[in-house]
Amino acid sequence: MIRFENVDKWFGTLQVLAGISGEVRRGEVKVLVGPSGSGKSTLIRTVTRLETIQGGRVLVDDADIASRSVDINRLRQRVGFVFQAYNLFPHLSALGNITLGLTKLRGLSKAAARERAMEELARVGLTEKADEMPGLLSGGQKQRVAIARSLAMDPQVMLFDEPTSALDPEMVGEVLAAMKRLAAGGMTMICVTHEIGFAREVADEIWFMEAGRLIERGSPAELASSQAGSRLGAFLRKVGPG
Amino acid sequence: MLEILQNNWLLFLVGQYPHGPIGGLVMTLFMAALSLALCFPFAIGLALARLSPYRWLRLPATAIVHTVRGLPLIMFIFWTYFFSPLIIGRAVGGVETLVIALVVYEAAYLSEIIRAGIEGLPRGQTEAATSLGLRYWPTTIKVVLPQALHNMLPSMVSQFVSTIKETSLGYVISAHELTFAAAQVNNVLLTQPFEVYGILALTYFALCFALTSLARLIERRISAGRGGAPGIVVAA
Amino acid sequence: MGYVFDIGSVLTGKYLDWFLIGLATTLALTAVAWCLAMAMGIILTLVRMIPFPPLGWFVALYVEYHRNVPLLVQIFVWYFGVPSLLPRPARQWINAHHGEFLLAAIALGLAAAAYVAEDIRSGIRSIPKAQYESARSIGFGYLGAMGYVVLPQALRIAVPPLINQTLLLFKNTSLAMAIGVGELTYRTREVESYTFKTFEAFAVATALYLAISFGIMALGSWSGQRLRLETR
Repeated sequence: MIRFENVDKWFGTLQVLAGISGEVRRGEVKVLVGPSGSGKSTLIRTVTRLETIQGGRVLVDDADIASRSVDINRLRQRVGFVFQAYNLFPHLSALGNITLGLTKLRGLSKAAARERAMEELARVGLTEKADEMPGLLSGGQKQRVAIARSLAMDPQVMLFDEPTSALDPEMVGEVLAAMKRLAAGGMTMICVTHEIGFAREVADEIWFMEAGRLIERGSPAELASSQAGSRLGAFLRKVGPG
Repeated sequence: MLEILQNNWLLFLVGQYPHGPIGGLVMTLFMAALSLALCFPFAIGLALARLSPYRWLRLPATAIVHTVRGLPLIMFIFWTYFFSPLIIGRAVGGVETLVIALVVYEAAYLSEIIRAGIEGLPRGQTEAATSLGLRYWPTTIKVVLPQALHNMLPSMVSQFVSTIKETSLGYVISAHELTFAAAQVNNVLLTQPFEVYGILALTYFALCFALTSLARLIERRISAGRGGAPGIVVAA
Repeated sequence: MGYVFDIGSVLTGKYLDWFLIGLATTLALTAVAWCLAMAMGIILTLVRMIPFPPLGWFVALYVEYHRNVPLLVQIFVWYFGVPSLLPRPARQWINAHHGEFLLAAIALGLAAAAYVAEDIRSGIRSIPKAQYESARSIGFGYLGAMGYVVLPQALRIAVPPLINQTLLLFKNTSLAMAIGVGELTYRTREVESYTFKTFEAFAVATALYLAISFGIMALGSWSGQRLRLETR
């Protein structure tokens, strides 16, 4: 579904991604962990070309996303992206945030878009907040609306960029719960997160990144057994039991 | 265009001086500087009054500022032109009229800049000063105003530019300044209005653009002195 | 001084008419120049977005010229200067059709456009890049992201400063009296020189200017509160 082949990226003279290779198959959940500045967010941002790369290839459904034949705007509709800072559109209600893409990109009628949006709001448990403006929602509610906004476009894969890092601790749970339900439903996902508990429970594979390199990978069980001496083990001990 | 400039540069620069009153660019700059200097104390007074906890100070100051903001400068010039003779008891020249009108007008605008400068200071500054036991005036004069005025330096230069531009209204009451001088040149030549007013526009442009650029330079210095604008943080 | 204040003396007959005609001319001049300013301001903003540096320089020069030359001088350039460059029939047409009104409106409108373009630009700049990225992530192209997400927010932010520009434009129409446009200030001087009721004449004009200015200011602060968005 998504394949990274020797991906290199520089910010000026600083190499932030160095020879990353890996594959995410349909229905898999990969969790990216690692210290901040290790390139996790940058890596998933390359998938929808929010970041351009200088070496290697990123393929979605075997198509190089940098090639001219790929319509990036269509690709982005198929690949949902959830930001750390939610990035809801403050001039539109919760519902309006979700229907914008449906009416303007999918060409749905207002009524159909509204119905579809309400379904997604129901999935994240926020039907009663449909007409609220984002400024009046809590952080957790905003992030759930942002997830619903992505899901409404029927993505084949969802990318999460530290979706709980900006939240107060008591709101982390509600967002993780929504993500777990999504994973249980068979969604293909790549999540950048520091929530190790979430990773253990949901991930098919954990990728550990440091200084722009993917230095360790394995299922939560494998990593738990070989944790003792590894870099990942040391990292997991530092961020706590989760 | 060059020929016009060659023959009339002295008139543009100093007006009819030494055969008549001094005018031209020199007078424009003199009036702008004088009115800005004179309006400064009034502007500080208005700003402090608007920030005062006392209604009887705040309300009249607010009323003055809003009234000035609501009226064209030309109205002030005419009020001054017609009524200062009644008050002073003698005829008042164009230059004096313009300076008086500009002082009133600019004081209101400048007071808004000063007020914003004071409001822009961190609350901690006054709190720190008052917890040291300083009273209102020492706090204001030693702590608040110096910082506010320093931060406002670029806005003051911009205000000087506005004032220079506004002195062009002296033309309407025959105050001898730059625009008036250009009109005189035009009346003599008659056939080349585009060139004459083009020279006038370019003169103002060169002067004001240089000052505007200076204001930007100072603004960068000041924000660099504060530790600079927050840089872009690259996400992990 | 034995001066009797008699506001009625200037608010009757033809003097009242002169005030009303003057006020109407002021408002018409404001309206025409305002439309020109908005149109030109939006055009300048769009031109500046085209990634071709010379166009950006042109817009910068346009903005700097109009902000650094006194408005009265800009009016003179248009009124005295520009027609002298035109062919004779065009000049005659201008003279026959109240050219001073038209040229004043052009000068006022083009000058205000420079400020309008700056206000819209700072509105756009104040929208975080993440909003644009977020719209692109849903699948919007450049135009969709700008049109549905960035500009609606930017315009909300730009409305209060634009209303303030409207106030300045309204006040600046008074400069058109210098080229003989029969707007409020010009008519006031006429009333004054016919009646010698200086105080009354200027009191009426002052009241009229203030009434409209306060209306615009009220609109500005109302819109400022109405349009503000909680962004985080």
